[in-house]
Amino acid sequence: MSLKTYLLARVLLAIPMVLILLTVVFVVLRIIPGDPVLTLLGGKAPIEVIEAKRHELGLDKPILIQYIDYLGNLLKGDLGKSLLTERPVLEELGDRLPATIELTIFGFIIALVIGIFWGAEAARRHDSVFDVSARVYSIFIYSVPVFWLGMVLQLIFGVWLRVLPVAGRIPPLMEPKHITGLYILDALFTANWESLKEAFRHLLLPGVTLGLIISSVFLRMVRGNMILTLSQDYTRAARARGIKEKSVVYRHALKNAMVPIMTVMGLQLALLFAGAVLTETTFSWPGIGTYLVQKIRYRDFMAVQGAIVIYAVMVVTISIIVDIINAWIDPRIRY
Amino acid sequence: MDTKFMSQRIGKAFRKFFRSGSGKMAFVGAVILVIFVISAVLAPHISPYDPTKRVGRAFTPPNSKHWFGTDNLGRDMFSRVLHGARIALLIALLAVVIASAIGIPLGLLSGYIGGPLDRVLTLVMDAIYSFPGLILAIAVAAVLGTGIVNIAISIAVVYAPTYFRVIRNQVASIKSELYVEAARALGANNWTILIKYVLPNVLPSVVVVLSMNLADAIMTEAGLSFLGLGIAPPTPDWGYDLSNGQRFILMNDWWMIMFPGLAIIILVLGFSLFSEGMNEYLNPNVGQQE
Repeated sequence: MSLKTYLLARVLLAIPMVLILLTVVFVVLRIIPGDPVLTLLGGKAPIEVIEAKRHELGLDKPILIQYIDYLGNLLKGDLGKSLLTERPVLEELGDRLPATIELTIFGFIIALVIGIFWGAEAARRHDSVFDVSARVYSIFIYSVPVFWLGMVLQLIFGVWLRVLPVAGRIPPLMEPKHITGLYILDALFTANWESLKEAFRHLLLPGVTLGLIISSVFLRMVRGNMILTLSQDYTRAARARGIKEKSVVYRHALKNAMVPIMTVMGLQLALLFAGAVLTETTFSWPGIGTYLVQKIRYRDFMAVQGAIVIYAVMVVTISIIVDIINAWIDPRIRY
Repeated sequence: MDTKFMSQRIGKAFRKFFRSGSGKMAFVGAVILVIFVISAVLAPHISPYDPTKRVGRAFTPPNSKHWFGTDNLGRDMFSRVLHGARIALLIALLAVVIASAIGIPLGLLSGYIGGPLDRVLTLVMDAIYSFPGLILAIAVAAVLGTGIVNIAISIAVVYAPTYFRVIRNQVASIKSELYVEAARALGANNWTILIKYVLPNVLPSVVVVLSMNLADAIMTEAGLSFLGLGIAPPTPDWGYDLSNGQRFILMNDWWMIMFPGLAIIILVLGFSLFSEGMNEYLNPNVGQQE
């Protein structure tokens, strides 16, 4: 199978996946008891007002028609209007998406660096202090709630040492000119060093929190795969040829160990996004996670639905990208 | 088998268990779990104060009267942490029971029958599995509202696919085993084969998944209540206490954050150690490959 056919097949396979997720979201929010209009207007609203609002939102139609309308609107990129602010949900989400992307990418990089270097070293010196500490760390970190770690870092760096801010993304009026929406990049592009410094200072604690939490998964995977790879014949052959140990570990073994790791990494996206929701809430980070939680408090079901749809689309898109990168690195996967 | 022989065998098994690293790990986990279960059950009798009543000055740091300090309403944190174990364990257990009640039968049927039903169920379960669990739980919890059963259901929705996947894959490979064929040749009907021959063979892996799942369920419950979607206050709950403590973090109220958090960590650690130790002990090959 050529890369092109594989790509096409992978994208086509994603369609039922997205459809199922969208249906689950619909079922959860519409069919399970609980009336969004009633909760929005309160129990004391006159019956005519409730009926009018229900009609306006299309909630008086049969459930099947509602489902078709919902999918049709999604295809058009219409996520409906927020019941609370009356703004299009897609627009509101668009404002907040860059914050979430910035946080998750930064957290992901931190996790990757910890995971790869500590994991590779632990595998190289199997059963050494390095290795044992890596195992203890990964079991321990797995048991730590992400929001608790966030609070402890807030306490240490924000309250005791007073060196880093504990909430928000940047001080007011310091936002760099909007290009990508990612403050770090925008500040770099516009050479706005003051904004860059502040954006980075704000990103540091939430990013490290998220990164540490997901690093345990990477660490385990890299360590396990590297131990396996380092015992393979081709690594032994590389050593026999007199190649430096560092080069054997990081050039020969790590590259081969990365393929299974990449595959599993695609599955860890769920963990990353779930962790991001809690991290955002802990640090009042203005991303989609805080949006979701706020809108749930106000019972704004259109907005909640939109936010979950965006998460579903992100998960599926990124898993497709991961698969394509994998197929590109390792041609065996295509078959 | 005479009793002397039996007791020797048990003794030997015990010695072997404690000699292996994974056995020790499972034992430490089990001890932690037993301590938490005991304190959860006995909480009303052993906790020094009523966890929902003002019993001292607000924001008192830990001292000899209030070991874990008091919160913003002057409630004793030690009593709250102790009682919090009840809610955490109760919801986690309930969630795991519901999740396995959905996942196990569906997995059995899907793996055994195969065909289009299997393909559709697998696709649906995989889709749910790939979605961020906490976000799904948030959506369900937001619709269902608070209450122990509702929160347990929200968490169960997330973990049902885990059971489904494990059971389905095992059943799919077991159903072509010789002993299943033999049972069929002897005229056993599908129902009998499923319950008497297939189910007992997949149960051991369910136990490991169950224990890991309890850890995840406790984390998810804490996450939900941290976000304000858990049990309604003033019921003592670790996640709620943490979000309450965070509101006053700038006042340096470290004790309001430290103790409920450590309770979650130690309990989850207990479950992970136990399940991982048992897993390695029962399937030693997995450990060596690692």
